[in-house]
Amino acid sequence: MTRLLAATALGLIASSAFAQDQTTISFLHKYPEPESMAFFEAAVEAYEEQNPDIDIVMEAVADDPYKDKIRVLMASDQVPDIYFSWSGEFGRKFAREGRTYDLTDALAGAEWEGRFSEAALDPLSFEGRQFGVPTNVNAKYMVYSTEIFDEYGLEEPATFAEFLTLLQTLAEEGVTPIAYGNQAPWAATHYIGDLFAKYVPNDVRIADYQLLADPDDLYTHPGYVEALQVYLDLGDAGFFNRGANALPHAAARGSFLSGRAAMMYLELVEFYMIPGSDLEESGWGFFAIPPVDGAEGSQTLLTGAPEGFLLSADTEVAEEALDFLNFLTSPEMAAEYVRTTGMTSAVIGSVTSETASEEVIAGLQRLEEADGMALWLDTDMDTQSANVILAAGQGLLSGDDTPEAVMERVRTTALDVQGGR
Amino acid sequence: MARAVADLLVLARVPFYTKGSTMTRPSANRTHRASLQGWLWVAPTLAFLVIFVYGPALANVRYSLFSFSAMSTSKTFVGLANYARLMADPIFLQGLVNNALYALISVFFQVGVALTLAAVLEARIFPRFAANTFRSALFLPSILPVVVVGLIWQLLLAPAMGLVDQALWELGLGDWSRAWLGDPATALFTIIMVSQWQWTGYIMALFMVAIRAIPRDLYEAMELEGASGPRIFWNLTVPGARETILIVTIITILGSLKVFDIVWVMTAGGPNHSSEVLGTLMYRAAFRDDVIGYSSAIATVIFFIALTIGVVQIKLQKDR
Amino acid sequence: MADSALNAERPISTVHRQAGEVINRVILWAVFLTLSVICVYPMIWLFLNAFKSTNELFSASWALPETWRWENFTTAWGYGISRYLLNSVIVTVATVTTVLTLSSMAAYALVVMSFPAKAAIYMSILGGMILPPEVSLFPLFKVLAATDLYNTYFALILPNVAFHLPFTTFLIRSYMVGIPPDLREAALVEGASEGLVWRDIYMPLCRPILASAGLIAAMGVWNEFIFALTFVESDSVKTVTIGVMSFAVALRADYGIMMAGLALSILPILATFLILQRQFIGGLTQGAVK
Repeated sequence: MTRLLAATALGLIASSAFAQDQTTISFLHKYPEPESMAFFEAAVEAYEEQNPDIDIVMEAVADDPYKDKIRVLMASDQVPDIYFSWSGEFGRKFAREGRTYDLTDALAGAEWEGRFSEAALDPLSFEGRQFGVPTNVNAKYMVYSTEIFDEYGLEEPATFAEFLTLLQTLAEEGVTPIAYGNQAPWAATHYIGDLFAKYVPNDVRIADYQLLADPDDLYTHPGYVEALQVYLDLGDAGFFNRGANALPHAAARGSFLSGRAAMMYLELVEFYMIPGSDLEESGWGFFAIPPVDGAEGSQTLLTGAPEGFLLSADTEVAEEALDFLNFLTSPEMAAEYVRTTGMTSAVIGSVTSETASEEVIAGLQRLEEADGMALWLDTDMDTQSANVILAAGQGLLSGDDTPEAVMERVRTTALDVQGGR
Repeated sequence: MARAVADLLVLARVPFYTKGSTMTRPSANRTHRASLQGWLWVAPTLAFLVIFVYGPALANVRYSLFSFSAMSTSKTFVGLANYARLMADPIFLQGLVNNALYALISVFFQVGVALTLAAVLEARIFPRFAANTFRSALFLPSILPVVVVGLIWQLLLAPAMGLVDQALWELGLGDWSRAWLGDPATALFTIIMVSQWQWTGYIMALFMVAIRAIPRDLYEAMELEGASGPRIFWNLTVPGARETILIVTIITILGSLKVFDIVWVMTAGGPNHSSEVLGTLMYRAAFRDDVIGYSSAIATVIFFIALTIGVVQIKLQKDR
Repeated sequence: MADSALNAERPISTVHRQAGEVINRVILWAVFLTLSVICVYPMIWLFLNAFKSTNELFSASWALPETWRWENFTTAWGYGISRYLLNSVIVTVATVTTVLTLSSMAAYALVVMSFPAKAAIYMSILGGMILPPEVSLFPLFKVLAATDLYNTYFALILPNVAFHLPFTTFLIRSYMVGIPPDLREAALVEGASEGLVWRDIYMPLCRPILASAGLIAAMGVWNEFIFALTFVESDSVKTVTIGVMSFAVALRADYGIMMAGLALSILPILATFLILQRQFIGGLTQGAVK
């Protein structure tokens, strides 16, 4: 028995070493959910059929572990030929370290012409060079149950003050206003990132995030503390469900979709999960977190970001990999992608009434109308400063931290990283 | 708890302080012709240890003197700066305290409680069948992968959908309900208790073997004298199982120092770093924050604490 | 039962005292029954809830499922649990075989042969027990990356072998010490080589300790976490501990299926334990105490 198993083991080990005369493209992304995997697997298969000499080895890792995994791969020089990246600092870091393949010229080619909007391309560029092919655009909206809103005579708020009143009403009525799962604290950074954008002037904020600000000014704008205070107050006022820090985001979403809360802050790419749920039956709508009167930041930015695929700087199959990405983001494939996964493809013209629900279309439209994007905070700041905010997202909620102390730590950390750069 | 079963059993009768070691047995010297052949026989084992255990551990100490990113190829020598930063880092100190708490509570349960349970099961109070069933039941959690244990308890303890929360509400104890893993005040203790749940039964089984090695007639003699259960326990069981107690204590402390997986699975050190231990700090520094030198400094601290405990163990056993 | 006979003979036992003993006994029964339930029930809870829909879970997680959704298990199985289990088997078998072979060789030499620096060598083998694997994590990772072993079975097998060698060597050596040296000497006089003596005399005699040491190492490797988390990447080599984790993250939305996956992942080891309880407990506790 043992010997047999050992033989099997050796066989398996050996078989992986037999690469045929094919060109292998390794491909790593972060969409392991069943619907997405089905699409990518079918796409890979279709492409391999058209190009029999190409073998695409695809792997998928979930969102949070992906952040560790890609860094590990970088460190071990095992970067896949094609890999996923968020826009903002997350991808810029790779570009800065010279780990990305310059796509500027390739994407200027005729076949790519007019495929993506500037808004989708720009966050995947560094110092004027394009390092990523955008695949999805995404934005965060407050989704609500119309049934619950109607029951208490509530309407979509136009200002942040109205939003707070609305939350207060719900809380007093004994309804959980917002479903919130912050066990993995990136969830908090979506609130905090949105509030930072509203409270801190855009140029100041971007200079801070990119660590380009003068060391004396770095993260000193009072808007940061105010924004954190707002987040803290939301928690203290009981506007989130109990135990948010212990609940995974998906669990909170499950409870929201089955009607246990009035609202939840969700991504556009999560809209596809609503059909078939109790929420769908009770009716739903969405709004962006409304503007804060008198705050110094930009009130019309939407929180969200495009994300995309990068090519490794070391890839030996750049041409083939690009061709595959071209295939993957061709109008036909993009439409198929939107239709089967409910994701919002970055390819212009892929999200239509034939491929997507009207809410998704409306969400995308509002995104296009927005003045710009406030990128996901945890992928837009440098990792170490972002980690301070990540922990603070939990600490503020549990009452173990203060906005002032958090920003002091962010500043210290950021100065440290800035000094080392 | 982040420890292979084997680590649990790190042992005892290591030859250089064991009576009757064969090391110097004359029979071994009878075959002089084998003198260098022996090296060949131990060479593979030694090679494995040098390449995968000692080499990396030494490399780690060296890394801790540099500041570098895993992605870049250049390193900057910074001397002891990483250690200075460690000492000034409140999260690191919190991690140290958490490891210590982990050790303290684990010793209480895995030595104190487990030994008591073992003594009761070996005292023939229960029918044999019942005693065996209890032993198996309590042993069961230890065969499960720590990841699965962490995930199951995460679900059991989840607010609203978890069994614990639902049971508390049903019993009218809703006030006691809390986000056990989401509250900085309870997260670490909850993890520690899950760890006790997993390992106490295993250690109990170890103690049962130890108790069985104590001559039965000693027990019978004390029983005939009319000694009470607790007295028999203190006067006979505890001294009789002394060596195992010592080993288990050391191993529990070492295990608490190494703990990583259960914490990583259940809270990843959160909320707000409240359940951070040295293992999670080290892992995150290396594989998320990409500050390898700093991470290596944490690993070096773990290394030296482990070394100290190891030396203390050897000393204690030598003295006896 | 033997005790009650003893009690009857005891001259000093009084009614009062017997009543106290009865109460004690009741308390002890209650304590052990409670503890047993606490230890076993989470498994039962897991298996029951694996049959439920997410909504049922939220309402009453202790209830029996309304309908037994066997499809949760088939769906979970479809997510690659089988592959993870196979990988775990491969890594475990390869590691344990290598560990037992190398450590029994080392133990053999340490027991029967004499060679320079023997004590020092044995000490340095045992010293490996003290070092926590975490300490070597990043450098080890660098070694594996540099040798292109990263993300292969070897990335798990080799470090696991290294970290299990010290204890296994220790166990086997303690056992071999008890084998009479005359056996070997007689065989050597007859012209047998050391290799033959090791294979045909010592290994068969060591069967009990090999089984026990093998089981201990197998459990350690099967449940190993931090190497599996760091040294492999692809689903094709991921072991079940890490597979279950990525599985749990990807399926957070559907708890029934996620629990079915968890249940499936522990089913093999649980079944083995239930069938071979005595051998299991005996094997795993062997060697810890005389």
